[in-house]
Amino acid sequence: MASQTIATTQAARRRRGRLRRRNALVGWSFILPNFVGFAVLTLVPVIALFYLAFTSWNAFGTAPWVGLDNFTRLIGDTSFHTSLTNTVYYTVFHIPLTLAASLGLALLLNRKLRGVAFFRTAAFFPYITSIVAIAVVWNMLFSPEFGPINQLLSFLGVQDPPGWTTSADWSMPAVIIVATWREMGYYMLLFLAGLQTIPPELYEAARVDGANAWQRFRNVTIPSLRPTTFLVMVLLTIGSFKIFDLILVMTNGGPGQSTLVLSQFIYQKGFVENQFGYASASSIVLFAICLAITILQFVVNKRRER
Amino acid sequence: MKRSQMTAVGVAAAVALSLAACGGGDAGSDDSGSAGPVTLKISGWALNATPEFQALADGYHEENPDVTVEVVEYRDGNDYDTQIISDLAAGTAPDLYVLKNLNKLWTFQTGGQLLDVSDVAGELDGDVSGVDSYEIDGKTWAIPYRQDSWLLYYNKDLFDAAGVDYPDGSWTWDDYADAAETLTAGLGDQGAKGTYQHSWQSLVQGFALAQTPDADLLSGDYSYLEPYYQRSVDLQDAGAQQTYGTVTTSSLTYQAEFGTQKAAMLPMGSWYIGTLLAQQENGEADDFSWGIAPAPQFDDSTTGTDNTPVTFGDPTAFGINPAIDDAKLDAAKDFLTWVAGEGGATVLSELGVTPALTNDAVTETFFGLDGMPADDLSKFAFSTHDTRPENPVAAETASVQSILNDAHSAIMSGSSSVADGISEAEDRVASEVGLG
Repeated sequence: MASQTIATTQAARRRRGRLRRRNALVGWSFILPNFVGFAVLTLVPVIALFYLAFTSWNAFGTAPWVGLDNFTRLIGDTSFHTSLTNTVYYTVFHIPLTLAASLGLALLLNRKLRGVAFFRTAAFFPYITSIVAIAVVWNMLFSPEFGPINQLLSFLGVQDPPGWTTSADWSMPAVIIVATWREMGYYMLLFLAGLQTIPPELYEAARVDGANAWQRFRNVTIPSLRPTTFLVMVLLTIGSFKIFDLILVMTNGGPGQSTLVLSQFIYQKGFVENQFGYASASSIVLFAICLAITILQFVVNKRRER
Repeated sequence: MKRSQMTAVGVAAAVALSLAACGGGDAGSDDSGSAGPVTLKISGWALNATPEFQALADGYHEENPDVTVEVVEYRDGNDYDTQIISDLAAGTAPDLYVLKNLNKLWTFQTGGQLLDVSDVAGELDGDVSGVDSYEIDGKTWAIPYRQDSWLLYYNKDLFDAAGVDYPDGSWTWDDYADAAETLTAGLGDQGAKGTYQHSWQSLVQGFALAQTPDADLLSGDYSYLEPYYQRSVDLQDAGAQQTYGTVTTSSLTYQAEFGTQKAAMLPMGSWYIGTLLAQQENGEADDFSWGIAPAPQFDDSTTGTDNTPVTFGDPTAFGINPAIDDAKLDAAKDFLTWVAGEGGATVLSELGVTPALTNDAVTETFFGLDGMPADDLSKFAFSTHDTRPENPVAAETASVQSILNDAHSAIMSGSSSVADGISEAEDRVASEVGLG
């Protein structure tokens, strides 16, 4: 009797063990295609990056170890300082603008409007349009002499309309405007999803208590959207620090160094000047900045939740 | 990999055998002494738009049936360098590869990616220009097959319409600027400008470096750029050419500006001759009569058809990949001798590409092409020039170039004054590159 029970439990355990192994294998096989791509194209290069940053590798042959030389050089490199300042400039304006624009759009398109599906699609469109096409068309719109934007401005009585992408003072605002326009549709979608999770009873209760529209927005919408806002903030911050493609096509960092950002500095050093070691060191700095700010955001968010 | 090489050799052998069977008499012209059929792989870019690589491959094979030349296609533009660098690093690059930009020679040579070809250089005809540019430490690392030079293109019809005399070879840059302004005034009704200077830094900096006595890119002193920038800025302020802002924001192309008669003059490299001929033929460019004149000069000590005008332009060369099979080395060196010599020059000039070898025969073939101008000044401009490299070959060149490119966009867009833009570049070169 006793031995029979032991045998059954052993069999059951073996069966469970086999099942678990099977499940694990199935699970692995599901993520394998994605993981192989990730490992070969992202993980291995990223690990290599941490080694290359301490060498003076120039793409050929062995990578001579130089210790911390690349990092000390970064500290004294004025171009690196310029690109860091420009990236911060871009981030500081791009994040609040995109946040406000996408939340505004989401609130607007969360109502029962006729043709709301059309407007939602229209707002999302810039996000799926080729970035090169966007850059070329906006460059034409911004053209100081023939562009419709400056024609409109002078029609409205602006005496000396800005030079936009051809002026060192205005090129960054121009890039920020285009980036905000391009990305607001995507974040609008996230906010829309967030808005739809807010229970309508909350609004009803607030209304019964006599809250006006602004009070409902402040005391119901904003707190209920906190998880979404947090996600959007984190995504926007990382995206802003990594901004590259739009600037490369629109201004190529110019005029002068007025729109040179960190990722472009890295590209320039690596692929144009063949200093891959130095470029790797700068990307580690960019990575550290993104990581630090994201951790900070998580910490602040956690403290607020308490 | 091995199997595909075997197949390639097999196919080459079959082709060579069948060719030998049909035209046995030809085999005698092969003097390289290479034993057996060989397949050489060379690099090229955008083969549809750039027929020169296939033409060179076919031309060489025709004279040397034992050797089949295969062109491996790469992407155009700056992507070419990036792609070829990755292939070399990975060990998958072709046996011979093109050095598209002279400024990458340093990268390739110091990276150990070029075979010493001084022996080939020593046997070349003295009329092959640009060979010196490929010397580092007294050895030659690549052999040029084409040599472009910057010239002044002008539209004879627009000059006639504005009542301005054609260039006569005596122009300095001040004469050019005066002509641009007179032309703009005279062409006001047609909406054409006097000249078109594209947005590239080389358009100002290349001429300044080549023509100004004692100018040196690696000195850290860029005061030599000042008169050249002042003139370019004045020209756009006077409305005699499109502003830098319009060129960049409206993505203007020099081919359309000159080809559709929106500008009466165009300083541009000799590669545009072939493009202009083709575009007039297929209707992309208007039908008008044009000519080429020597590039305007720094001062009158080098002007006139009894002098040799100074201009700039980079050669394009083939180098040998050190990973090449020893059995192919002789054939590869023979290919280099051929592309730089009479054989390559004939093939290239028939395509409207300026070969590295300049002599009367090449000029004659070139001016025999349909649609080429026939005046003497055009022939003089094409065949006589002292062409200096756009940049010296050195470790610091790429960094200095990118700093000067920032200065270029700052000055031309009016974001900096000429003096401020230049002094900022000097400060940056001193602090970031350590020159001056």
